[in-house]
Amino acid sequence: MAGVYDFVPAIAALPFLAFLVSLFFGRYMPKRGAEAGVIATAGSLGLSTWTALTVAGFTGPATSYNANLYTWVQGVGDGALTLSLGVLVDPLAALMLLIVSLISFLVHVFSLGYMNDEGETGLPRYYAGLGLFTASMLAFVFSNNLLMAFMFFELVGLCSYLLIGFWFRDDGPPSAAKKAFLVTRFGDYFFLVGVVGVFATFGTGLFAPITDGGTVVAESFPQVAEHALGGEASVETFGLETGTWFTVLGLLVLGGVIGKSAQFPLHTWLPDAMEGPTPVSALIHAATMVAAGVYLVARMYGFYLLSPQALAVIALVGGFTALFAATMGVVKQELKQVLAYSTISQYGYMMLALGAGGYTAAVFHLTTHAVFKALLFLGAGSVIIAMHHEENMWTMGGLKDRMPVTYYTFLSGSLALAGIVPFAGFWSKDEVLFEALVHGLGTLETEASMVGTLLLVGYAMGLLAVFFTAFYTFRMVFLTFHGDARTDAARDATENRWNVTFPLAVLGIGAATVGFINMVPVAELTGAEIEFLHDWLAHGGIDATTTETYSELLHDVAGIEAAELGALGPGAVSLALALAGVGTAWTLYNVPDPVEQTDKLGGLKTLLVHNYYQDEYQVWLAQGVTVPLARAADRFDQGVVDGVVNGISSVSLFTGSRFRRIQSGLVTNYAALMTLSLVLLLIVFVLAGEVMG
Amino acid sequence: MVIDVAGVSAPDWVALAPTFAFVAAAMLTFLVDTVEPRPGTSSNAALAATAVVGSLVAFLVAGYFLVAGVGQPRGTGAVSLFQDQLVVDGMSLFFVVIVGSVTALVSLASFDYLEGQTYQAEYYGLVLLAATGMSLMASANSLATAFVSLELSSLPSYALVAYLKRNRGSVEAGLKYFLVGAVSSSVLAYGISLVYAASGRMKFDAVASTLSTLAADGEFFPGILGIGVVMILLGLAFKTASVPFHFWAPEAYEGAPAPVSAFLSSASKAAGFVLAFRLFLTAFPEVGGLAGGDPAVDWVVAAQVLAVVTMTVGNFAAATQEKVKRMLAYSSVGHAGYVLIGLAALTQGTDHGLVLGASMMHLLVYGFMNTGAFLFVALAEHWGVGRTFQDFNGLSTQAPLACAAMTVFLFSLAGLPVGGGFLSKFYLLLATANAGTWLLAGALIVNSALSLFYYSRVVKAMWFEEADGTVEVESYPTSLYAAVVIAAVATVLLLPAFGLLSPSAFDAATVLF
Repeated sequence: MAGVYDFVPAIAALPFLAFLVSLFFGRYMPKRGAEAGVIATAGSLGLSTWTALTVAGFTGPATSYNANLYTWVQGVGDGALTLSLGVLVDPLAALMLLIVSLISFLVHVFSLGYMNDEGETGLPRYYAGLGLFTASMLAFVFSNNLLMAFMFFELVGLCSYLLIGFWFRDDGPPSAAKKAFLVTRFGDYFFLVGVVGVFATFGTGLFAPITDGGTVVAESFPQVAEHALGGEASVETFGLETGTWFTVLGLLVLGGVIGKSAQFPLHTWLPDAMEGPTPVSALIHAATMVAAGVYLVARMYGFYLLSPQALAVIALVGGFTALFAATMGVVKQELKQVLAYSTISQYGYMMLALGAGGYTAAVFHLTTHAVFKALLFLGAGSVIIAMHHEENMWTMGGLKDRMPVTYYTFLSGSLALAGIVPFAGFWSKDEVLFEALVHGLGTLETEASMVGTLLLVGYAMGLLAVFFTAFYTFRMVFLTFHGDARTDAARDATENRWNVTFPLAVLGIGAATVGFINMVPVAELTGAEIEFLHDWLAHGGIDATTTETYSELLHDVAGIEAAELGALGPGAVSLALALAGVGTAWTLYNVPDPVEQTDKLGGLKTLLVHNYYQDEYQVWLAQGVTVPLARAADRFDQGVVDGVVNGISSVSLFTGSRFRRIQSGLVTNYAALMTLSLVLLLIVFVLAGEVMG
Repeated sequence: MVIDVAGVSAPDWVALAPTFAFVAAAMLTFLVDTVEPRPGTSSNAALAATAVVGSLVAFLVAGYFLVAGVGQPRGTGAVSLFQDQLVVDGMSLFFVVIVGSVTALVSLASFDYLEGQTYQAEYYGLVLLAATGMSLMASANSLATAFVSLELSSLPSYALVAYLKRNRGSVEAGLKYFLVGAVSSSVLAYGISLVYAASGRMKFDAVASTLSTLAADGEFFPGILGIGVVMILLGLAFKTASVPFHFWAPEAYEGAPAPVSAFLSSASKAAGFVLAFRLFLTAFPEVGGLAGGDPAVDWVVAAQVLAVVTMTVGNFAAATQEKVKRMLAYSSVGHAGYVLIGLAALTQGTDHGLVLGASMMHLLVYGFMNTGAFLFVALAEHWGVGRTFQDFNGLSTQAPLACAAMTVFLFSLAGLPVGGGFLSKFYLLLATANAGTWLLAGALIVNSALSLFYYSRVVKAMWFEEADGTVEVESYPTSLYAAVVIAAVATVLLLPAFGLLSPSAFDAATVLF
């Protein structure tokens, strides 16, 4: 019987079809290809919902699915690799499919207002890009092996390049697109090496084992790794200790994650990526490009759990990025810039959660963030339409009366971002910090106290970032919507049409309510069974990717312990910090005529405005180090390598011309040479053989 | 004696049917010439058609026999004729397939090339008689028939090289070919007499068994025999155009009409090799140490030396040529070196069938790609294009199809995967690697890399250089074009069909051990 799982590839195939249709026939369509995209993503959304319901068990017993569908390289003989494309649908993938297709559908609808109604040109190209972007991300989400994931990971990167550089005739967008492409590619090199390493080590890239009738027919690489650590299997570790080698592999793949998820130090591309159309920014930040990195860590979490060192690095990078980006968000003047830094910061939280063993917390925050960040970007887009593409917040003010729908939905998203109870972000951020705290404290007592210390450092930075997050979020809200209108554009702003407000409304409700799927503090307080996401991720037909397995691994292999601690206390601390941030913003900016309070920071502000000179040092790395190095390599190539090659060819040609002269044209010479060589051969093979024999 | 050909009883001489086809076609050309001695268009077509049909029949019958199992262990087993003077087995049929296909292509192309020439019947008759000699070489089973059939193929070849009587180059090349051939024949005949002196036998297998009996009785004279073996090796090197008896090749190929060059460099070379394979493997296996034990005369090492030297001299000399035809001539010498691997890599303990089969497959592929390349030169000569690389500049704008075919030939000769040449060279490399003869493998790789250089010079000239505008292609000769295109299609098809054909080569080769 054809079950829903047979249609999973169609979830990605539909947007791909839309890509083709928009590309080739978009110019003949009334909406320039948007129709195809909207219908396809609606179809994907429907299929994703069906899939999620099947995985959850609404349509029968709860199931999962993992199968190779197409083998494109068939290994022959022992130890040969077989490369396949396959589909893995477990609770994580099902949830992510739902998020991606939902956001993508809303972004397509919103684009009707943002792009079509604004009379942009080149729309077929735009919708083709969106379609391919969505298709790549969806296929990446249901990839069942690392190589397939890598291929679609790269496609996602390509599409982001195409879309960020959509307005290629201006100066900014092409440069930003190039930067995004190059910076993420830098990380992807490590990822690629990691993929090769994983295949060379384990001979497979499967995320989860494929079973047939209860028996495992194909092992997954996290499981082989686990067996190898337990001494039950042996793998090639290239001379390193098994655990160390796994850490190396994990960190190599992490390179790609850091690039895509814009973590320090490869975050610099993301703020520039704001040059792209705002709906694209929403898609990149909420559901596709940036989410891909974190999703990849979650996807192969069973592997990372084998290496506490890699986990500590992830947590530390995450915590640091969360704080680091939040401080930069404080001084930004443009609406989308603030949002960009908030994205970096929020993905830092997710990394912190993953590093601290809070798999559920990370997935939870990924979910809520997708909703409220998409909302905030689309809200920003709505404001930008009304402001005739002016993005500086100092030119706005007082928009809340003229754009009520945008204001209230934006407010909902901001409360979620700032982490104010009961909005979505509060629950998830609280859980992230809670997980980091308890695991940090718990591990401090064990042998791996170093890891525990690092987790606590990450926690401290994450906690501090809560204050900054709340502050910059509400600074943004007050500057944009409150006070008096500071320009004519702001005074004449009007609310947008349905195709803008409809996605906002959907997401606004979502931002307020998505958090209810996993209210840990409430569950603790009331004892009610309402931790739906926990249950969701804990069950599933594939044991290897459930949180039950993960918590065992976390405890047994990584040696990370949880301390006994209530969820209420830490939750109250972070809420208090968030409220303090909002309060500070209120006093400073919720006035009719706000002024640049950040000027009081003095030299610090200069540092923050210049993003800690991150771009400068990276440019210096490129121009001061890489270029001279490349020149030296070029000189080596031109001189030594080419010299050797040219030398060989001159020697060959010289030898050739000597051989040519043997052919003198005189038959007498030939006869002489023939006779001489006959004599020579006779001497060597007969006479010598005789003497020796 | 009666043999069973695909369920039908037939007298055993039917196994020689391909050879009879050549003979019959040759006689028929003389008959046509008697009817209309003055060359006219009708007789030209009739002569060409006779030659093409005759050689095609030989090709098809030999191919059918291969499929039907004639002469092979799964069918009739090797068919011995005329008191074992000739033998028809998988090996001989395989080479008749090569000779037949090359002869058919050359005859087809000659129709246009010979336009306006007198003595056309003689031309086709000589080609067919030479082909007869070659097919007999493939079947020769004694030293006497070997020598006679070799001469039967050589004598018409001398005349064919000198066919353009008014062309000084052609006549000079014919004379040189003849003189070098005379020296070589005498070396071969002397070698045969010495082997006969040592063994007292003429038939290959009798030579081998007598030698081993003599060795067992302690009456073995390795000195006399050794000189004989080396002289036979060199005498056959003349036929295969291997160093040091290759001197005639560049001169003859350049001076001869291009179709004759194609014929000699493909079919004649293949015939020389089949005789060498059969002679050395049937008559001298124990002498060379193939059956284990110390070799009395180490002809395997001698073949290794010849192979490396032939490859190197041929390719390095080809690299510095200015004329395309001469470059192809030297490359043909180089390819003789590659094929010599079939004898040179027969070290102990390796899969002899694979080694020899690889050489046979290379000759099969070579039959098409090299013939095609020379026929393209024939086409260029027909158009009056000059002989140097520069003269080929920009030819692709006027004759894209022919140039594409030439590109296929050249890249396949170099061993790129556009044609069967890639796989046959790959198998040769595999054979050397299996045999552990790393010097041969290294020489094969280095020379193939070098050959890519000079082959691409032609490709570059045809496709990337600007024509100087002096050459105007006016007509597209149908039969010449058809021959070139057929050869190109066959070369390309041999890439996917390689796996289909190679088993028959490997089987035929394995029987000899």
